[in-house]
Amino acid sequence: MNGSGEPVRVTEADVDRLAAQIGLVIAPERRAAVAQHLAALLAAVQAIDELALPPATEPAPRFEP
Amino acid sequence: MSDATTSALAIAAAVRAGKVRARDVVADALARIAQRDVALNAFTVVLSEHARADADTIDRRLAQGKDPGPLAGVPFAVKNLFDIAGVSTLAGSKINADRAPATRDATAVARLRASGAVLVGALNMDEYAYGFTTENTHYGPTRNPHDPSRIAGGSSGGSAAAVAAGLVPLTLGTDTNGSIRVPAALCGVFGLKPTFGRVSRAGVAPLAWSFDHVGPLARHVADLAAAFDAIAGPDTLDPSCATRSSPPCAGELERGADGLRIAILGGHFARLAADEALAAVARVGRALGVSREITLPEVHRARAAAQVITACEAAAIHLENLRSRAADFDPMTRDRLLAATLLPASAYLRAQRLRAWFRERVAEVFRDADVLLAPTTPWTAPAIGAPWMTRIDGVEVPTRGHLGAFTQPLSFIGLPVVSVPVITPGSLPVGVQLIGRPFEEASILRVASRLEAERVAISPVV
Repeated sequence: MNGSGEPVRVTEADVDRLAAQIGLVIAPERRAAVAQHLAALLAAVQAIDELALPPATEPAPRFEP
Repeated sequence: MSDATTSALAIAAAVRAGKVRARDVVADALARIAQRDVALNAFTVVLSEHARADADTIDRRLAQGKDPGPLAGVPFAVKNLFDIAGVSTLAGSKINADRAPATRDATAVARLRASGAVLVGALNMDEYAYGFTTENTHYGPTRNPHDPSRIAGGSSGGSAAAVAAGLVPLTLGTDTNGSIRVPAALCGVFGLKPTFGRVSRAGVAPLAWSFDHVGPLARHVADLAAAFDAIAGPDTLDPSCATRSSPPCAGELERGADGLRIAILGGHFARLAADEALAAVARVGRALGVSREITLPEVHRARAAAQVITACEAAAIHLENLRSRAADFDPMTRDRLLAATLLPASAYLRAQRLRAWFRERVAEVFRDADVLLAPTTPWTAPAIGAPWMTRIDGVEVPTRGHLGAFTQPLSFIGLPVVSVPVITPGSLPVGVQLIGRPFEEASILRVASRLEAERVAISPVV
């Protein structure tokens, strides 16, 4: 997620902090695995961010009557 | 009488001609399920009494001179995320077992039944369809009929295994990132993921709203086309269902691959794949006389976007249960869903931007080609309980997640794809994807039919 191409690191403390923001309690024995999965997802986000898309590219839906 | 090798259309023809009773066909299917499914674990519920009653209705209609439908008497089963009236829709979970039974059939189930097919049960899957293996902790793993020590693939693992073993000739599955195509490939059957919006998802538990698809699995292309024709078309109960009509495909099959411009996908689709997967694509290419190779841009980033969108949508769907009863989720899915709840909204939207960009790039490729070929999975079925990581070509990849490496970038832009089975004697099956333009299912089914006629793609009962 840092856009630098460096490996994404997520700590158990990160998981706790982020979970608290959405009212989620993650059991202590699950935090390490959740941190690992979150790091994998953030690595995917990093891969997305590394591609510069044309400014006009947008995900807005198209409405047709 | 029908046996495990009888095709759906052969059954329907025999029933319609009065050569066999639907009741006897269904009784044969129920007997096969009773005999073999203890070992395979493809079914989570068998609806014996309902099926016999429905078969009797078909027989009565025939006796009264009424048309029982083009799939008269064909036994079929559905992944257990489809609503079945009177049955709780599990979606592979323990949590949903608490829910009241569905009050009506999912649209696709209702349409198959209206065509005369007889529902005999519901099938095992990964919890909430979030997986490629059907190693379901709550209901046990579904075993691959080609080698019971191996996975059937997923998430529609029960749907593929039931067809491969000849328990039923036809099943329904769903596919978001490969969940029809991956198990079809690993179990050696045909699987069709139609264009997004072509088949209604009404009454189907979602994994990711913006690219869940419903489709059939079968051992014959004509059966696949007949089932697709029965379920496709507009449905006001599914707001994402396309309003355009769906011309029948079954009558198109005899045209074969004539006149279609076909190319093989290289680049991403040729990397990090085992030799047998690439050999299958080469074999299909040779049979079709195809040597042209095309490379799509930034496929690995498209796959990354598919992963992020799936995670965010699935997390949004299950957030309340993750807050209140996380311990009741399957450990195979729980930690991934928990992690997904923590992603920022900007990640989802940037993935959606890339999706829009990638869809346009692929549309440009289809100006110059009608059908594209690619491996369905990078390798054959792994062992049940296989190690989490696998090394291929010097790179460590997740054993389970990598199964979707070649399917994920295609379904998240909604393209229609058939996975055809390629089986070498003495080896486990692999699949080849035939990828078409949106709403051109007929083209890929025509190519599949040609490959079946030449016995390049076949699906024997095992």
